[in-house]
Amino acid sequence: MRRFCTACVAFIMLSLLMQGCGFKDIDKRFFVVAAGIDRTSNADKPYRITLRLAIPSPKAEPGASKSQLESIDTATIAEGVRLLKGHVDKEIDFGHCKVIVLGESLVQSDYVEALTWMIRRRDIQSIATVAVGKPSAEDVMNANPPSERYPGNSLFLSFGTEGTDSPFTLQMFLFDLERRYTERGLDPFLPVIKRDHMTYMISKVAFLDKQKVKLTLSNEETQMYNQLSTQFKKSSIMATYKGKPIVALLTGIHRSYRIIEQNGQAVIRMKVRLRCILEQAPRGLYNSDWRQIEKAFSDQYSTKAETMLDKIRNTGVDPFGFGLRYRAMHRGSDATWNRWVKLYPNAKFEVRTSVKIDGTGLIK
Amino acid sequence: MNRYVMYNFVMVSLLNLMLFVPNILFQYRYHGAVSSLIAAAVIGPLFGIVFIRTITKYPGKGVPEILNENYPRWVTVPAFLFFALMWFSAASITVDAYAVLINRFFNPDANVLVILGVMCVICLYAATRSTLSMLFIMEIMLLLNVPLIVMLLVKAGGSDQMNWDAIRTASNYVQSMPKLAPLAAATFIFTGYLNLSIYNRVLPPNYKFKRGYLLPVFGIGVLATTYFIPIGLHGIDGVSSYLYVWSATSDSLAMEYGFIERVLFVFLILYLNLTLIYTASGWHQAMEMIKSCFPKYKPSIDEHPVPRSNYVIVSVFAVITVAALYLLNEKHLTEFTSYWLIIRMFSEYGLVIWIVVHTLLRRGAA
Repeated sequence: MRRFCTACVAFIMLSLLMQGCGFKDIDKRFFVVAAGIDRTSNADKPYRITLRLAIPSPKAEPGASKSQLESIDTATIAEGVRLLKGHVDKEIDFGHCKVIVLGESLVQSDYVEALTWMIRRRDIQSIATVAVGKPSAEDVMNANPPSERYPGNSLFLSFGTEGTDSPFTLQMFLFDLERRYTERGLDPFLPVIKRDHMTYMISKVAFLDKQKVKLTLSNEETQMYNQLSTQFKKSSIMATYKGKPIVALLTGIHRSYRIIEQNGQAVIRMKVRLRCILEQAPRGLYNSDWRQIEKAFSDQYSTKAETMLDKIRNTGVDPFGFGLRYRAMHRGSDATWNRWVKLYPNAKFEVRTSVKIDGTGLIK
Repeated sequence: MNRYVMYNFVMVSLLNLMLFVPNILFQYRYHGAVSSLIAAAVIGPLFGIVFIRTITKYPGKGVPEILNENYPRWVTVPAFLFFALMWFSAASITVDAYAVLINRFFNPDANVLVILGVMCVICLYAATRSTLSMLFIMEIMLLLNVPLIVMLLVKAGGSDQMNWDAIRTASNYVQSMPKLAPLAAATFIFTGYLNLSIYNRVLPPNYKFKRGYLLPVFGIGVLATTYFIPIGLHGIDGVSSYLYVWSATSDSLAMEYGFIERVLFVFLILYLNLTLIYTASGWHQAMEMIKSCFPKYKPSIDEHPVPRSNYVIVSVFAVITVAALYLLNEKHLTEFTSYWLIIRMFSEYGLVIWIVVHTLLRRGAA
C-alpha cells in the first residue's frame, strides 16, 4: 500500500510538470470554419489567405451565426496564417476547418504548394472538403447566407449527404485530393463554388491534372459525371421524345466498364443500367409504348455520355480512373503505365445504356 | 488458459502500426512487399505453432529455466541479455513513437519528454507487477480496446472512399521476389507467440494448445488490413508519403453520427492503451530475462511484495527510453526500427530453432 501511495504521489508530481503547456480555453480560441487561398498578381506576395473565424454565440438559431473575416497577402501560406495571428486576439485553430476554398486564380496556375501545405499541417482534417472558389476564394468567403445556424455550416452542409443532396455537388476530401494528385491513372476533380449574392451556387465540377485546372463541365454534364462516376442516385435524366422534353427521376443506377485493347487502340465499354420514374412529361404517355420512350432515353443518354467522356479525354485528364483500372488489370510494372499513357489519348468510348421506366408517377 | 496465449498474439499483431511495419512495407510496394506478405503468412504461423507446441511441453517453465538447466552460464547469460535488449527496445520504440504521435496530434505545444515521462511512469508501475498480474492487465485492456479497434478496421474496409482498383494494382506487383526488410516487417505480425518464453511459467501443467488455426486466420487478416486498406484510401503511389500512415487513414474516415466525427481521436486513444500495455509487457519480459541471469534467482509468478530489483531494472529502462527520444529524431527512430525488425526476425527464429532442436535431442536421448 505504501508503495502504491508513493507511485501515486510520483505520478501527481509529474502531472504538475504539465501545467500551462499548450492547453488554451475554448473561449481563448478562434476556430477557423473555412479557409480560402487565392493567387494574387503581386509576385512578391503571391498568396492571399482569407479565413472565416467563428464567433462563439450563445444562440444557435437560423441567422444567429456570427463570424469574422480576416484576409492577408503573403509570400508563403504558412507565414501568412502566422501573420494573421497578429490581427486577432485569440489563438487561431484549424481543428474545425471543414471547407477549404482554392481560388480560381490559384487552380489555374498551380495548386500543388497549397495542397502540400494543407496535407502537411497536422490540425487540418483529412476529411475537410476542398473546392474551387469562383471568381475568387475571398469572394466566396464573403458570402454570409442568412439561413446559417452556426458559422460556416451552410457551406459544408451543401456538400456531403448530411444536408442537401444535390446531384450537381460533388465532394472532394482533402485526403482524396492528395491521393488523386499522387496516383498515376487517377486525376483530381474539384466542385466549383460560385457566389450568388448572399448564398452559394455549387453546380459545376472542374477537372485538374497534377498541376492545374484543365476543364470545367456544364451543369448537365456535371450531373452526368456524378451519375457515371459515383453512381449517384438522387438525380434525373432528360430526353426529347417526339419533340417534347421528358425528365425522369432515377430510382436505381448501375454502371460498369471494361477496357479492351483492339488493334493497338483502347476501347472502354461502359454499361449503364438506369431505372427511373417519369417526373415531367406530357399527359397520356401511360398508354403509349414505354419501350420507345426507354429507347429514346437510352440512345440520347449514351450519345451525351460519349460526348462528355471524349471531352474529358481530349483534355488529357482521367478523373474516372481508367488508367488505374488498366494498371489493376495488367502486370504491375512501369511498362504497363507507359503503355496506358500512349493508349489513353486515342481511347474510344462505347457507352451502352439501358433505361427502364418503373412508372409514370401519380397520373397516366 | 488458451486465451492468454491468444491475447499475446492479438496484442502484438495489432501493435504493428506503432513499429512502422506498414511504412516499411509501403517502401517496398513495387519491389516485393506483396510476395513478402505471402511468405510471412506461411513462415509466421508455422514457427508460431511449432514454438507454442514445444514450449508447452515444459509446464511452468520459461525459456530462461529451460536453457539454464541444460547449458552453462556463459552461454545463457549473453543470450538472455540479448533477448532482454530485443524486448526492451521494441517496447521503448513503441512508447517513443507514441509520445511523438501525441505531440503531433493532441498537443503540439507540450514538451514531448514530459509526455513520454508520464507514459513511462505508468508503464513502470505496470511492468514491475508480477507475471500473473501482467497477464490480467493485458486481458482487461484487450477486452476493452480490441472490439473498438476491429470496428474501426472494418469501418475503414467498408468506406465508400475505398478504391479497389488501387488495391488490385498493388497486388499486381506480386511477381517481384520477397526482400529481407519487408519480410522482417511482415513476420512481426506473428511474433506475439514469443511472449510465451516468459508467460509459459503461468500456464498450468495440463495445458494443451487448442485452436491453432486462429493464428494464421487472425494474422493474415491483420496483415491484409495493415497493408491494403491504406493503399485503398491513399492510393498506391501516394501511400508512402505519409509518416503516420494509419493515423492519416483513420483521419480519412468520418463518423457523421458518432459522438466524435473525426475517427482519428478514437483511434489514437485506443492505440494509446495498446501501446501502454505492450510497453509494460515488453519491459516486464525484458526484466524477467535480466533477472534470470542471476544464479540465485528463483522465478515466481505471483510474488508479493514487489522486489526492489524490479523497480531498479525497469527504472533503467525508462531512463534509457526518455534519453533515446531526447537524442534521436523521428527519422533515426524509423531507421533504427527497420534494423531492429530484421535482427528480431533472425533472433526470434534462432530462439525457436534452439528450443525445438533442444527438445527433439532431449527426447532422442531419453
